[in-house]
Amino acid sequence: MSAALLYIEDDQEIGAFVAEHLRSNGYEVKWLRSGEQAVEQAEGCQLVILDVMLPGLDGFTVGQRLKKAAPERPILLLSARTAIDDKLQGLQFADDYVTKPFHPDELTARIEVLLRRSGAHAPDSVQIKHLLVNEKENRIVNSETGEEITLSGKQFHIFKYLLRHLGQIMTKEQIYESVWGEPYLEGDKTLMVHIRYLREKLEKEPASPEIIETVRGIGYRVRA
Amino acid sequence: MSAPQNEKRKRGFFARQSLLSRYLLIVLSAFLFIPIIIPLASMIYFGVEAFDGQTDRISLKYGNANELEAAWHAEARTLHGADADEVDAKLRELKAKYPEASMFWVDADGSTRLRLPEARSGVPDRWTAAEAIRFMKSSVGSDPFTVVAFLGAENGDGAFMALQMPRALVEGGVSGGRGTTFIVVFIFVTFALFTALSLWFFMHIRKRLLLLQAAMSKRDEHGLPAPVEQKRPDEIGGLEAAFNGMVEQLKAGRLLQQEEEELRKRLISNLSHDLRTPLTVMRGHLYTLAKENLSGKGKASLDTLERKTEGLGALIDNLLAYTLMTSGRYKLEPEPVDVLRLVRESAAAWYPVWEKAGIEADISLPAEPLIWQIDKLAFRRILDNLFQNIVRHAASGKYAGLYVEEIEGRVSLIVADRGPGLESGSMVSEEKGAGIGLAIVDYLLREMGLHWRRESSEQGLRILIYKEA
Repeated sequence: MSAALLYIEDDQEIGAFVAEHLRSNGYEVKWLRSGEQAVEQAEGCQLVILDVMLPGLDGFTVGQRLKKAAPERPILLLSARTAIDDKLQGLQFADDYVTKPFHPDELTARIEVLLRRSGAHAPDSVQIKHLLVNEKENRIVNSETGEEITLSGKQFHIFKYLLRHLGQIMTKEQIYESVWGEPYLEGDKTLMVHIRYLREKLEKEPASPEIIETVRGIGYRVRA
Repeated sequence: MSAPQNEKRKRGFFARQSLLSRYLLIVLSAFLFIPIIIPLASMIYFGVEAFDGQTDRISLKYGNANELEAAWHAEARTLHGADADEVDAKLRELKAKYPEASMFWVDADGSTRLRLPEARSGVPDRWTAAEAIRFMKSSVGSDPFTVVAFLGAENGDGAFMALQMPRALVEGGVSGGRGTTFIVVFIFVTFALFTALSLWFFMHIRKRLLLLQAAMSKRDEHGLPAPVEQKRPDEIGGLEAAFNGMVEQLKAGRLLQQEEEELRKRLISNLSHDLRTPLTVMRGHLYTLAKENLSGKGKASLDTLERKTEGLGALIDNLLAYTLMTSGRYKLEPEPVDVLRLVRESAAAWYPVWEKAGIEADISLPAEPLIWQIDKLAFRRILDNLFQNIVRHAASGKYAGLYVEEIEGRVSLIVADRGPGLESGSMVSEEKGAGIGLAIVDYLLREMGLHWRRESSEQGLRILIYKEA
């Protein structure tokens, strides 16, 4: 896969290393030393990685401009300031946040999550265990049998939400509130019932699920 | 006297604008009240009375008593050496002049001669010394008003003539009680005036003080009181001026404080940047190095280096965060939040990290919400620090427990591990790193009115977070 990323970083050493790392992970990288041309250069990019400590225009201003120009394009903040300081003002426009020093793998993992969540760079289809999921066509096919699996509206929404957050654990409240669009009430069994039906359709053995994993005490997760 | 001294005196006790001098004026008038006001009242009364006398004379046809008496004596003097007929004629003439009066005359021998009107009774025919005295006594101060005048020059003869006039004709309608009423009313009015004046004086002071108080307790958007308008150059005016001066100083102080805070914040940001940038570069190179072919020993030291770099990054973050927090830069906004939901979400984020470190998560949180008044970001940070510590210092226990228990009647959130605990020797070298993280936990919990306790044993460390009942 090759998504185009705009990377704005003033530090030569870090910039060179990160740009190289991202390229080796298969991304197209446009690296800017300052935020002056950011909005123009961001055209055609699926994601922006922004260092908040920039010469001239500061990262927050650049971030706000970028967000205004394209609200749906995710922005990942890289910061060398203290977390609480930036968290207060930074996250209003940023979609995620990585504090220096970061592990290069963590950075790519976060980029993946953001790209998937925004849908801008979702691959046409994704293979999860025995399922081939085509998000664009809303089709799920059992690749072993070739059968298409039909889900009800809510079931599909739940599954899609978990796919968007592939590899992340989502709590019951998070899933319910995203799918139903209303606050989750404790003791509500609706979600559990839907998950049970969903498993009956998706899993080979619904009693020991492989696709939708239960993380005891927290929530559910779908792993690639 | 030189100008400054003059100025000083003007501001002194007896300056015209001083509240004290105005107050003293009122007190002084109070002292003057008794000794001056009463005579003043009398004087005013008698002044009015004298004026009233003028008008009385116009209304009394024979003038007042004194004038009538003087006139009677003058008539008597004109009869010097006159015989009885002349006196009779004079008396008849006088009777025509004073028709309301009754009159008689007595000769030197004590015989009553002409009486007018002639039927008049009550006058003896023969006057003895006793009769004369009785007549005089009964006439003094009684009605009719009686004048007795001896005839002749210097009114020196033995004969006399008497005039009796109804008192109403020689005295106006003035009653004896009129003066007292006037003085009482006058004093009362003056007293009421004085009371009203002092009351007004104090109400005025009170009003201005209340206005000043209101101005002092009012805060503008910067939390400072606004300057007040200085209305008069007296003591309260001075207070207002001093208050305005204080507001100015406060403003200047606040500005300075803001500048210092800004400077401190910038310093911390710069320091943070300067420390982290090389650390990021180091980490990048460690990553590149890890891709090279390394011996087992090389890989082991690379792991250590990586772990230390990460620890150092977290340490810098915690250290600077702690500095910012304790200097009051980090404002908490507590709101009612379901703590357990927050814990679940935070645990969800940490779960993959625990999995990677081989830590088994044992999470059993009740379904019912546990609502505490907390700041979400701050509580997340507390959990981050505690969960981080499990990975960093208690990974050997391969266990992370999250549950709610009721301990001593308080619902407590418990974060448990099966690491070496606090007393263990292996902890000592790492303790410093955990120390600042826990200092942040301690600070934030305290700021949100929560309490915490650590229970360390051979089974590991249990951290209890609870709200004081």
